[in-house]
Amino acid sequence: MMEMAVAKEEKFPTAKRFDIADIQVSREATAVKPKVVANMIKRAKRPLLVTGGQLLKDEKLVEFAVKFAEKGIPIAATAGSSKPLIERGIKPVSKTYTLHQITQFLQDEEFQGFDGNGNYDTVIFLGFLPYYLSRMLSSLKHFSKITTIAIDEFYQPHAKFSFTNLTKDRELYYSMLQEVLDNL
Amino acid sequence: MFELKKGALFVDEMKNVSIRIGKVVEEEEEVWEEAGPTPKPGILELRKWDHKLLERYEPFYAPMQDFCNLCTMGPCDLSMNKRGACGIDLKTAKARLVTIACCIGASAHTAHARHLVDHLIEEFGEDFPIDLGGDVNVEAPIIRTVVGIKPKTLGDLREALNWAEKEIVKVLHSTHIGNEESLLDYESKAMHVSMADHVGMEVADIAQIVAYNFPKAEPDTPLVDTGFGIVDKSKPTIVVVGHNVMYARPVADYLEEMGRIDDFELAGLCCTAHDMTRYNAKAKIFGPISYQLRVIRAGIPDVMISDEQCIRADLLEACKKMGIPLIATSDAAARGLPDVSDWPVEKIVDALVSGKLPGVFLPIPEKVGQVAPLVAEAIFKKHGGERKYKFFESDEALMEEINKCTQCMNCVFTCPHSLRVDQGMAHAQKTGDLSKLAQLEEQCLACMKCEQACPKNIKIINVIMRANYDRLYNKTGKTRVGRGPIQDTEIRKVGQPIVFGQIPGVIAAVGCINFPDEMKSIREILEEFLKRRYIVVTSGCHAMDIGMIKDEEGKTLYEKYPGNFDAGGLVNTGSCVANSHIAGAAIKIANIFAMRPLRGNYAEIADYVLNRVGAVGFSWGPYSHKAASIATGFNRLGVPVVVGPHGTKYRRAYIGKPWKKDKWWVYDIKSRQKVFIEPAPDSLLVAVETKEEAIVQLARLCIRPNDTNQGRQIKLTHYIELHQKYYGDLPDDWAVYVRSEADLPLKMRDQLLKVLEEQYGWKIDWDKKKIVEGPVRHFDAGFNPTIVEEVYEKYAGEKAPR
Repeated sequence: MMEMAVAKEEKFPTAKRFDIADIQVSREATAVKPKVVANMIKRAKRPLLVTGGQLLKDEKLVEFAVKFAEKGIPIAATAGSSKPLIERGIKPVSKTYTLHQITQFLQDEEFQGFDGNGNYDTVIFLGFLPYYLSRMLSSLKHFSKITTIAIDEFYQPHAKFSFTNLTKDRELYYSMLQEVLDNL
Repeated sequence: MFELKKGALFVDEMKNVSIRIGKVVEEEEEVWEEAGPTPKPGILELRKWDHKLLERYEPFYAPMQDFCNLCTMGPCDLSMNKRGACGIDLKTAKARLVTIACCIGASAHTAHARHLVDHLIEEFGEDFPIDLGGDVNVEAPIIRTVVGIKPKTLGDLREALNWAEKEIVKVLHSTHIGNEESLLDYESKAMHVSMADHVGMEVADIAQIVAYNFPKAEPDTPLVDTGFGIVDKSKPTIVVVGHNVMYARPVADYLEEMGRIDDFELAGLCCTAHDMTRYNAKAKIFGPISYQLRVIRAGIPDVMISDEQCIRADLLEACKKMGIPLIATSDAAARGLPDVSDWPVEKIVDALVSGKLPGVFLPIPEKVGQVAPLVAEAIFKKHGGERKYKFFESDEALMEEINKCTQCMNCVFTCPHSLRVDQGMAHAQKTGDLSKLAQLEEQCLACMKCEQACPKNIKIINVIMRANYDRLYNKTGKTRVGRGPIQDTEIRKVGQPIVFGQIPGVIAAVGCINFPDEMKSIREILEEFLKRRYIVVTSGCHAMDIGMIKDEEGKTLYEKYPGNFDAGGLVNTGSCVANSHIAGAAIKIANIFAMRPLRGNYAEIADYVLNRVGAVGFSWGPYSHKAASIATGFNRLGVPVVVGPHGTKYRRAYIGKPWKKDKWWVYDIKSRQKVFIEPAPDSLLVAVETKEEAIVQLARLCIRPNDTNQGRQIKLTHYIELHQKYYGDLPDDWAVYVRSEADLPLKMRDQLLKVLEEQYGWKIDWDKKKIVEGPVRHFDAGFNPTIVEEVYEKYAGEKAPR
């Protein structure tokens, strides 16, 4: 697992938490490089990309989500993020339910996914308020076996895998998202 | 010891005999309603009802930390739902923590009520009548339903309080190490103590309405100035902060008696502000907790009076720095100050004005009334108003502060909203343009965490406030004074359209200011529903926030929409404790419209509300423990609550799984069958991230199984329209709410029938344009749903079907 982590790479900033007080974590997320994210998504049997409300504030995130969809990753759009995606011809598998509800569903062994073909094994999160996503990642960490990957600009300690902290360098962040897509 | 029987007692030449007189009942108790099954319920009496709710609305946990460190055996690593040294697992530990939060909330309101009631009885006597005006006969719907009494006097309220206090202690006891091991039972206890919270709130607000002669269910209460820029800086300003108006009220009396109220500014922060305006409409409202440091740092108060709850714990420190004397009044927050109750007024005034003491603890309301104006006037004379409404002495001083920033981002990583202070500072440094910093003000909580993280000790809050000064100053408007209860006559008018669904819903915007977005978002969300003629009810901080957000024409929502409890009305009930009138309105619908008895009949009433009353609570920025207990109390009453994203930090939600079809059923008293139904509402407590998501969730959670065709059609029309507007498409779940073609929005009927046929495989008779096969159930005009066996048996006269 160590070679997956970015801690020793100079290219990336350190994995500083989005909120320094969010430290009461028994096992911190592995900060991962874009290629590693791409490989995990490729290896996943049932991946799902969940998009959040920040897509309404950042056009770039919409563009990246569209590219994920074009690579065949189903999207559960929350918080109104379905609208810009639909406008670009994407059909999310879920539009109505909140991240809160979807996180509840994902933890249920009987959940068969939004298409009825089974629960998801790898869930990727894009475009969320960090404190909100942090709580949902914590819930999934403790109460499910799902592999969670946070690809927002914030290092999310409760995820299984997370981008490092990219708050200071948005261009680097976008380039990392592009790198994930290029390797899918 | 002997008990006295009926008759007369003569006491003559007795020595060393003590006589204890308990409650004196002067007349036979009026039989006002047959007693229901659960008057003064203990922890167990409503457990069955709770478990019914929790079976459907499964608790969801989102821990803040992986560890538990509440006892000395720990700290324990509970990650991955492990058990700690005491045996508790992570989910149950979180259920316990939420129960504790609800206990804190319930005890805050109930202690507030106890302070008030004891004080008011001392002042007005325990026989002081409860009179809420001619249009309010069901005076205390929550107390009637929960406690089973019909309070007629202030003294009667003590009985309700005694019950609430007992239950709070019992539930708090259950959170001690080594007690409950079932998360469901903890949730039941959280619901129980939160129901006690609603009783406490109702007691407090009834007591203050009747004793202080607050507005009594009047829709057209006065409009009062609200916002940062409301006070005339050429007058001494007295600022009250907190939630219990009892301590600061005599200030208004004193100024009125002296004929000097117009010589002063009397303004408040948080719910005490609401209640001051309910007492005297010359009082003004600065804003919620996030405005505390804005107001203090701007040097506006000449004296500050604090009471209890939701007051910054560094109030004294903040006031001291600005030379503002503080009078702390409530025993809940003595703030380390000397008790000067026995001091003469002159001595207290001298100590505060001279600066010998930065503050005093003075829990005697009448003395506060005299001391505060004298102090304010003397302090004002010292600076002549010059210090007010300033965050920096000069523009140069401001830029000097900004130039200290090195963009280390420590502030960003402590900010609750990750606000990009660094970018605002950098932009200002390079260009002198403050606009990026100004934008931050719209969302800044003024919590001060950033300033402590700053290695350069920059006064970040002052910088942000000064950067947006003009807009902040002009963000002033009008709040309609809290009216208290909803009239019985109003309930009579809207009861049927709410229960049948023609009024599409009641949106109750309640709670704090930890918004995920700019403050104006609360207005945008609520106006969407006002335009659509939902009933919007509000209280507490939400009620004052919408009083400072104006539209292009300079009007607040209060100036655009009437204050009556009717379609398209915007009802401000008042302070936090006036939330009780919102729950009370739901209960009154069951009672006044549907004639359901209230007395000790909680489960039946909550069951009625869950199945029939399309009311949804909404807390866009919850942060307090009181918000936790208020929401959980609404949940037990069958009212779903939508919270903003910070609400997930309460760690627990109640979220149903609509795809689990066997979970969604009712007993239908008419057909005498167990009927599978649409999942409406499908969550009892759920968070949303954006205003768009809030709007859509609120609309969908208004749907109820009992809606008539017309009602469902109206509700579905709004839900579908809003979903299309904000989400760009039809809802994923719209079809599940369709029972017959008559439920479909008129304008879209053909289009939707086609979708049902092609995408959902439903059978449609196109000649008649009727649905032949597909819905979860068919609509029946006499549908009479309940999930409570006892209610079924009561009305069906037979055992509930299996």
